[in-house]
This record gives sequence, structure tokens and C-alpha cells, in this order.
Amino acid sequence: MNTAWKQVWAVLRREYVERVKTKGFVISTIAIPVLMLGMIGLSAFMAVRAEQSQRQLALVDFTGEVGEEVARRMGAAGYDLEIVDSGIGLEELDRRVLEEEIEAYIVLDELTLQEGAFAYRSRESPGRIRGALMESIVVETVLELRLSLTENTEGVRELLGGSHLSFERLGEEVSEVEEVSGIVTGVAGALILYMSMLLYGQFVLRSVLDEKRNRVVEVVISALTPGRLMLGKILGVGSMGMTQLGIWAACAALIGLVGVPMLAANLPEADLSQIVEVLPGVGALVLLLVYFILGFFLYSSLFAAVGAMCNTEEEAQQANFPVMMLIIIPFMLQIFSLEGSAFAWMDWAAVFPFFSPIMMFPRAVSGSVEWWMVGLSLFFMVIAVGATAWVAGRIYRVGILMQGKRPTLRELVRWVREA
Amino acid sequence: MTEAAVRLAGVTKSFGSHTAVSDFDLEIPRGAILGLLGPNGSGKTTSIRMMMAILVPDRGTVELFGGFPDFARRSRVGYLPEERGVYEKMKVLEQLVFLGEIRGMDRKIVRKRAMEWLERLDLGEWAAKKVQTLSKGMQQKVQFIGTVLHKPDLLILDEPFSGLDPINQEVLESIVLEQREQGATILFSTHLMEQAERLCERVCLISKSRKVLDGNLKAIKRRERSNVVAVEFEGDDRWLTRLGVTEIERVGYAHHLTLNPRVDSDRILAAAVAEGVSLRRFELLEPTLREIFVRHAGDPAPEPALKAAGGAR
Repeated sequence: MNTAWKQVWAVLRREYVERVKTKGFVISTIAIPVLMLGMIGLSAFMAVRAEQSQRQLALVDFTGEVGEEVARRMGAAGYDLEIVDSGIGLEELDRRVLEEEIEAYIVLDELTLQEGAFAYRSRESPGRIRGALMESIVVETVLELRLSLTENTEGVRELLGGSHLSFERLGEEVSEVEEVSGIVTGVAGALILYMSMLLYGQFVLRSVLDEKRNRVVEVVISALTPGRLMLGKILGVGSMGMTQLGIWAACAALIGLVGVPMLAANLPEADLSQIVEVLPGVGALVLLLVYFILGFFLYSSLFAAVGAMCNTEEEAQQANFPVMMLIIIPFMLQIFSLEGSAFAWMDWAAVFPFFSPIMMFPRAVSGSVEWWMVGLSLFFMVIAVGATAWVAGRIYRVGILMQGKRPTLRELVRWVREA
Repeated sequence: MTEAAVRLAGVTKSFGSHTAVSDFDLEIPRGAILGLLGPNGSGKTTSIRMMMAILVPDRGTVELFGGFPDFARRSRVGYLPEERGVYEKMKVLEQLVFLGEIRGMDRKIVRKRAMEWLERLDLGEWAAKKVQTLSKGMQQKVQFIGTVLHKPDLLILDEPFSGLDPINQEVLESIVLEQREQGATILFSTHLMEQAERLCERVCLISKSRKVLDGNLKAIKRRERSNVVAVEFEGDDRWLTRLGVTEIERVGYAHHLTLNPRVDSDRILAAAVAEGVSLRRFELLEPTLREIFVRHAGDPAPEPALKAAGGAR
């Protein structure tokens, strides 16, 4: 190993070891998967609890005609509903609601047969979804009853069954599972890239800024070139990030390999085979790694330049903004295009190197762009990484030794030209 | 290999409207120990930062070992900046190993050598502690070790002794002198005249961004001698008035006689013997560095509060 790489290696190792040793790293590495699993578990738990705590509904039928059919359909829709005798009296039912024996009761009467109107008596509003569902059940039942009393209703009954939209794909056929897998992998990958670029980029910035602020850099720079220092630093933080992501990936794989079969064994009625099919393939993971590495170099060299031109935390937070926007904007665009109503120009925006990791990766794995466009984005990214490193390296070189106020844009241009 | 270790020629540096260093010439021969003296804000740190290529001079040239201070040349320097920059969260030994490693030293060797230095400076038991748990003085010693670890040919030390207690100051002074004996060239800045007087063979005085004088300390003192004789004796002092000296000043038990340039000090001695007073002390006084400085640049004591201007000095 020659001196240059020895020096880069020394910087890399310091950066890596000092970071991995911190409590922050250990805690965040353990806490984030635990937190995520916990959140999933908690929401499942809450859903079950909400289901269990749902109390009974009652139905009073003064028409004597539609009550049973409405009750049957509501039962089919998942409501725990009981028909009560109309002689019981509404005061008694009100009391039951107020004393929380039942949640609500529905009253069907003459008006229901005429206009489809009915009363829902409860302490709480039924909510929009429940309301709409119940309305449609009542109206359908009444309509069917009235149609059965009339002649010449052929075909109308079928119409009542509701319309049905059947989707017909044009072009290449993709299996549904594959499609879901692609979308899930794409969204998850974009999210991971977005968060890790922001987080690890900040680490690079903070590291540069700290060294500059406490003037260690003046000693360090007397021994090695700024370029080697910057490279070592970026590689060190990057390795730390890969370690963290690697640990998380290993956790996920462990859950996938051990947890899913265990779950399947305990819950034979649940069909879990589809979960396995949804998991991303090796190709997608390799592509994710490529976009991670290129993206990390791209953004972190900019973050390093920002750190080098600032003197205080506050300055850095301001100067940070444009670089962060380069990560946030593609993520926003990606959220918009999730709906599937993506504009064609978004596919082209995904070729723009700074947008590529977050926008092109999901497109590549969901197969919504041609492969040559993915290749084009990678090609542009490699060029952009080189160009950015060159510019950022020059800003870094001048900036780390510069004290005083933050440079203006014009001064920055001069640094780049004269460095 | 006769080129100077450090050479500045016509170096000027301004920050905005403030001139920090003005037309500065300096040459430090190999193996010399030179004190860069001046009050705060006089341009010492700026000069040093230009030698380390941290600042670029507006005019003039800076050379280390006969050439531009590039990385090859700078890596032969042990540099202690004025601001005590350390990786606070790193362990003491790890930090020193890192500083050695980036200078291309082998990890094992540097670890061993760093440990020896730590023991020597009474920091052995702190090797595995984080730097931030050390006192400022201890941190300074750690940083000092970092500057000598790679056996540099040139030590550039910016206020190396400030903030240390007298015992540690002495320890570092002896290490500096030892480095010099081993062949290193040494430049250190200080605003403590007495210390420079004790350590330096050469001095360079600067004041208000300009060099006042430089050269061999003994030669300067000889040149600046003020013709003052200190006499201490028992007996009547009336004989003093007959000597034709320009000024007599009582300092403690002694009389300081300022001689007329035409009067030789031997005549005073002869007169004392002739008078029969019992002489306890007779000394040709050399001016202190401080006096020389005051004579050339005014009193350095009231230090201008330029610290607020940040590192831009």
C-alpha cells in the first residue's frame, strides 16, 4: 500500500471506528428495527382491540317487510346486528345505548319504504364509511322489494348488482405478484435511499465542520492532502452507513427466513406463500446497492463542501438547505408518481443524476421504464459523481482552512476556479 | 543542504483593511532555535500560518527547506497551532496513533513511541481515556506529543507554553531543547520575553505587523548595551558623584550608573578601589529582551484586545 492509500485508510478507519463505537450508533442500529417492528405490532394489536371492543347494533323494524333482509346483509358486511321486537319501545333501546349495552340501533319505518330514509340512533356519529355502507344496504333492499312488486323488471335486477370495472392491461403481461413485489421493493428502496442519504450526508457534514471548528484540520492537513482527507472521511461514513444498513438487512432476512415459516406453522389458515413471492430478488438488491453507493458519493461530497465553507452549526443549517432539496425534491416527485398517474416527464427527471437514486430505482424494479433508461441514469450518475467530487473537492480544499464569514456564491466560484 | 529551514521574503498579509503582517523578511538557519516575539495581535500567528500554507500571503514568498511549503515539505514539520485542536471524543493513544499514521508511520511503531512519550509526560495512565476528560494543560501536552511523534526536522510551535503550570512548562522546554540537540530546527512564538531569553539563540521581534529586529540574541544584546554599571558596596557613596556619570539610580542595595559613552567602566572600578569602599558587586548590565523591545517598539505590556477578531490575525 503506498502512502496515499495508507493515509486514506487511516482517515477511513478513524472515521469508521469512532462512529461505530458511539452509543448513538449502537442505539440507533438496534432501536430503529425494534421501533418499526413495535409499530407494526402495535397497529395490529390496536386493530384487533378495536374489533373486539365493537359493541352490538340493534335493529327495529316497523315495516315488517325489509328488516330481515337488511339484517342479513349487514351481518354479511361484518356488523354484529340483532333484530329486536318492535314492541320493546324506543325508550328502552335509548337506555341500552346510553348505558352502553349496545352501540346503536337502527329504525326502519314507512318512510324507509318510501324514500329509503332510516334513523341511526347512537351517542356517536356512524362515520362516513359505515354510513355510506348502511345507506346502500338499505336502499338496495328497499329497491329490490319494490321491484319485486312490479312487472317487467328484467335486467334491472342485474344492474342493481352494481357495476364492475375490469382492468385490461395493454402491452407486456406482468404477473400480479411480480408487479406488487416490484412496487413494494421500489417504495421501500426509495425510502431507504432517501433516509440514508439525508442521515449519512449529515454525518459527513458534521464531521467536516467539527474538524474545521476545533482546528484539528490544520494539523491534519499538514500531513496529507485535503483530497485524501475528504475521500477517507466519505468512505468512513459510508462504510458505517453500509454496516448499519447491512445489520438491518440481516435482521430482515432473519425474520424472513425464520419468522415467516414460524408464523405459517402457527397460523395454517393464513396463506403466507404470497409474502415470500413479494420479497425482492437479488438483482433488485444489487441495483439498490449501486444506487446507494453512487448516491452517497454524490450527495456526501456536496455535504462535505457545505461543511467546509461554514463556521458554525447555524450557518451549516442554512447552507445545507439547497443540498437537502436535491434529496427531498425527488422524494416528493416519487410520492406523486406512486399513484400511477405519473407524467412522462417524471421518467426523464429520474435520469437527472441527483434525482436518480430515489426516482429511478423504484422505476427500474417495478419495470415502468425501459432498461436503457436505467443504464443511462447510471452512466450520468458516474459522470456526475466525478464532476461533483472535483468541484466539491476544490471548495473543500479552500474552505477547511478559511475562517471568517461564509463565502458568497461568487467567492465560491472563485475558489473552484483558483483552487 | 545549506538552505534555510524557513525563509520569508517580503511577506505581506492583510485581512480586509487590517494589515496583519507587513513586508516580513526572516531566515532561520538549520538547527537554530528562534523565538518569534511580540504582543498579541502583532502578526505572529499569521506568519506561522503562512509558513504552514494555511494562509496564502498577499505578497512575498514563503519557503520551507528551500522550496514551496508543499505536502512533502510540510510533512517534515511538527506543527502546534495556537488553537488547541484535538479530537475530543477520541482516546488519547488512538489520537496520537492517528496523527502518526497519516504521516505514513507504521501503526505498531507509532503506538509504541506514543506510549513512551505519554509515560515520559506523566500521561501514561490517561492513554485509554477520552481526550475531552483531560484538563486543558494535559490536552496541550498530548497535542505537543503529536507534533514531535514523527521526529520532524522542523518544529513550528505557536505559543507552546501558554496555559501550562511552571513545572510542565519546564518539562516542555527541556523537550524542545532536546529536539534541538537531536538536530531539529525550532521556531516558537511567545509573548513572554523572559522565556524567549532563556531558550533562544535567535530572536525575532515583531510589533504591529512589522518586524522590529532579529538576529542572534547575544549579538543583539551586545549591540544594545546601554552602558549601565551596577555597583553594590558598603560605605560612603559620595565618591560616585565625582565620576562624571550621566545618571545615578538607586535600585535596592545597588546603584545603577549610566555611563557617559566616553567613560570606560574600568575607570569606575579603579575609582572604587581607590576610594577604599568594600565592593560586593560590580556588573556591566546588559539590557533585558524586554527593555530592548520597549526601546524599539514601545511598551508591549498593554496588550491590545485583538482576540475578539477571531482567528484572522
